[in-house]
Amino acid sequence: MYRYDVIDKEFVADRTAEFREQVTRRLAGEITEDQFKPIRLLNGLYLQLHAYMLRVAIPYGSLNSAKLRKLAYIARVYDKGYGHFTTRTNLQLHWIKLKDAPEILEHLAEVEMHAIQTSGNTIRNVTADPYAGATADELDDPRVWAEAIRQWSTLHPEFAFLPRKFKIAVTAAAKDRAATRVYDIGLALRRGRGGELGFEVMVGGGLGRTPYLGPTIREFLPTRHLLSYLQAIIRVYNRHGRRDNIWKARIKVLVASLGAEEFGRQVEAEWEKSDKAEVDLPDTELARIRGWFRPGFAKLAPRSEAFEAAKAADPAFARWTRHNVHPHKQPGYAIVDVSLKVPGQTPGDMSWEQMEVAADLAERFSLDDIRVTYQQNLLLPHVRLDDLPAVHKALAEAGLATPNMELISDIIACPGLDYCALANARAIPIAQQIATRFADDERAEAVGELKIKISGCINACGHHHVGHIGILGVDKKGEEFYQLTLGGSGEEDAALGQMLGPALPADKVAEAVEQMVEVYMRERRDGERFLDTFRRTGVAPFKEAVYADAH
Amino acid sequence: MKALTGNRLDDGEAVFWKDGRWVARFVDATIFDDEDRATEAEAKAKSQLTVVVDPYLIDLIESEGLWAPLSYRERVRALGPTNHPQHGKQALGGEDIAALQHAHGAARSTGRVALIKRK
Amino acid sequence: MPTLIRAHAGGMVLANDAFTHVDDDTPIPPGDVILSLTRFQAEGERLLGEGRAVGVRLTTADEVEALAYDLPRIALVALEFPKFRDGRHYSNARVLRERLGFTREVRAVGDVLREQAGFMLRCGFDAFEPADGSTPEAWDRATRRFRHVYQRSADGRTPAFVERGS
Repeated sequence: MYRYDVIDKEFVADRTAEFREQVTRRLAGEITEDQFKPIRLLNGLYLQLHAYMLRVAIPYGSLNSAKLRKLAYIARVYDKGYGHFTTRTNLQLHWIKLKDAPEILEHLAEVEMHAIQTSGNTIRNVTADPYAGATADELDDPRVWAEAIRQWSTLHPEFAFLPRKFKIAVTAAAKDRAATRVYDIGLALRRGRGGELGFEVMVGGGLGRTPYLGPTIREFLPTRHLLSYLQAIIRVYNRHGRRDNIWKARIKVLVASLGAEEFGRQVEAEWEKSDKAEVDLPDTELARIRGWFRPGFAKLAPRSEAFEAAKAADPAFARWTRHNVHPHKQPGYAIVDVSLKVPGQTPGDMSWEQMEVAADLAERFSLDDIRVTYQQNLLLPHVRLDDLPAVHKALAEAGLATPNMELISDIIACPGLDYCALANARAIPIAQQIATRFADDERAEAVGELKIKISGCINACGHHHVGHIGILGVDKKGEEFYQLTLGGSGEEDAALGQMLGPALPADKVAEAVEQMVEVYMRERRDGERFLDTFRRTGVAPFKEAVYADAH
Repeated sequence: MKALTGNRLDDGEAVFWKDGRWVARFVDATIFDDEDRATEAEAKAKSQLTVVVDPYLIDLIESEGLWAPLSYRERVRALGPTNHPQHGKQALGGEDIAALQHAHGAARSTGRVALIKRK
Repeated sequence: MPTLIRAHAGGMVLANDAFTHVDDDTPIPPGDVILSLTRFQAEGERLLGEGRAVGVRLTTADEVEALAYDLPRIALVALEFPKFRDGRHYSNARVLRERLGFTREVRAVGDVLREQAGFMLRCGFDAFEPADGSTPEAWDRATRRFRHVYQRSADGRTPAFVERGS
């Protein structure tokens, strides 16, 4: 993975020193809360319901054992012993004290981490395909480009006060594991006619109050011009995006109001006028970054007798491999999911002890590499097939081996009203109730792929619009109600969910999900996922089942 | 009835106004039955820039003979997150915590499906 | 009269401001003045003809390109921040410097705070009217926070990727 050089280290050290001084000035009353708030937000520090929340940046979801151990240490010493992984592959610590925040940032800096730009109206932490460097279906390693974007966007002087937050996702594979269609900018690597690489550039996707799938404004951007093109897009947005209404300030509204074609024309015009050579990285720098993403794989046989024997002997292990183990580009290796979705527990939460276990496993079995996915799970990208039984055993002992990836209990949920100052309703208890109903592994497996995504407010941190079943918490005269949508997808077949019907009270949601699953099991044809059946039948049979008793 | 609340600047803890000081337990908070006195206290609190962040008044209801915040959000602030009962003020236990947990003001959301009309 | 801080010889100094900000409803006083774009378009020609130095103050809604033709005659461009959170002038300053080639003073006015001094300097501002009572020393310190930068901008600083190559 990318390692800091002396420049990166000094940069983060300077940032930490700056924040320490700003916190001192705030505590002494030299600056007002109004002036301080954007400063702390640019360092990922929110004030929530019970305490401050620190959002630690995990660039493109990439961690190693030292980083994860440090996060465990911070969770244990400065928080209540756990952290919450988010749909933006960051880690949120929910019980932080302002007076401790500078010290925590110093700890993070020791392991080449920070919380820069994890909030505020700026370019946020860049995300990428969590299978990067491990999957056979990628054209290039997207982390090279994500790291280039991370550095370029860090304290970019022109883009520190955009109309609204700004998120970029990168993928280099045909299968979209980075939800690029629902990002402010989605970048998907493609191969040109002459064999050269370029990006398909999608702009103006996003969820929130007005969800959009991002239209493509350029089919093919030569990779070397990535940064100058990003500058052009964001400059057009910075100058012309709306600032009069927070709900219309995202780039998606500008793109929709101008039309993708006109927006693209303005970007091209701006780009043509810019001095690209001043902005784009020289090949030497790209090569330097790329050099950090070359793991040393061993030459292994494609088949592991130990692995095959364990599968034959242990049905639980076999089930886990069916759902939580994926093919690797390198013979003899596999990609292993670390499930943070134990039914009944909080989705995405991880205790400091579990972080220690995962860090040890990454170090011993995965070339010291571990990733965070936007589905709020972790994964070990490079595990030898021979080691899978040992890895499974260790994960199972730590409660990290629930065999439910992409199944109905692998639910995305934001922190919701249990923590978040913006939320209208709780999300976590709804996820707990649903997952508990489908806690039986066999039943969950029989239902198959079904992605439930829950947000506690319209900001859609839980990606509800793109859930096969999406659940949105709303406040109806002080009561928690939940709107259900069906048929969304955040992947290469991206679609926004369709409203099921009137909002349901909290204690009817899990039941409604169960009713819809029954409809699907009844209606499904060979090999159909829930999503496929819904797309074929439409909303009617599901609606009928859920509202049947509501005459 | 109203109470005055905010988050303490240095640690972010949810706190409540009690006669010019800030306390962590809702049960200790000053209960205002007089709008003017409440607004006056709020103005004083807003001037305490180095003590508390964004103080505001909340509405109350009665629960088990005690006062409780009307809104669900404010009860979560006064108790702690419902997914971790051992975290936050609720861990302290006691009758006052129980009263807050049992309170159901505007936010009660059970058994209401019959009220929803089918389209 | 507001404090004026100028970038000078690699540092920040307290400067005498020879200019008077004039709003759209006040009669033009004698001497050097800073006018809104509208007023400059109406009266700039005459004032320049009188041999005065004239600066133009742009709101965040104005397009800097509207000044392109007049830039050679303008003494300074003042970019007014209605709120420090309105970041349009960071782009505008860069366009003025890097695209329109403006080399005279670009001044930050309005809600101009020390916390943003570094960003402003990097985007090409070289004069500041701080709204928070900052001294030139505090301003100077705020702009020297970072030993490195990751991207080129209007200040000509060497970015990390060039530092690494040398």
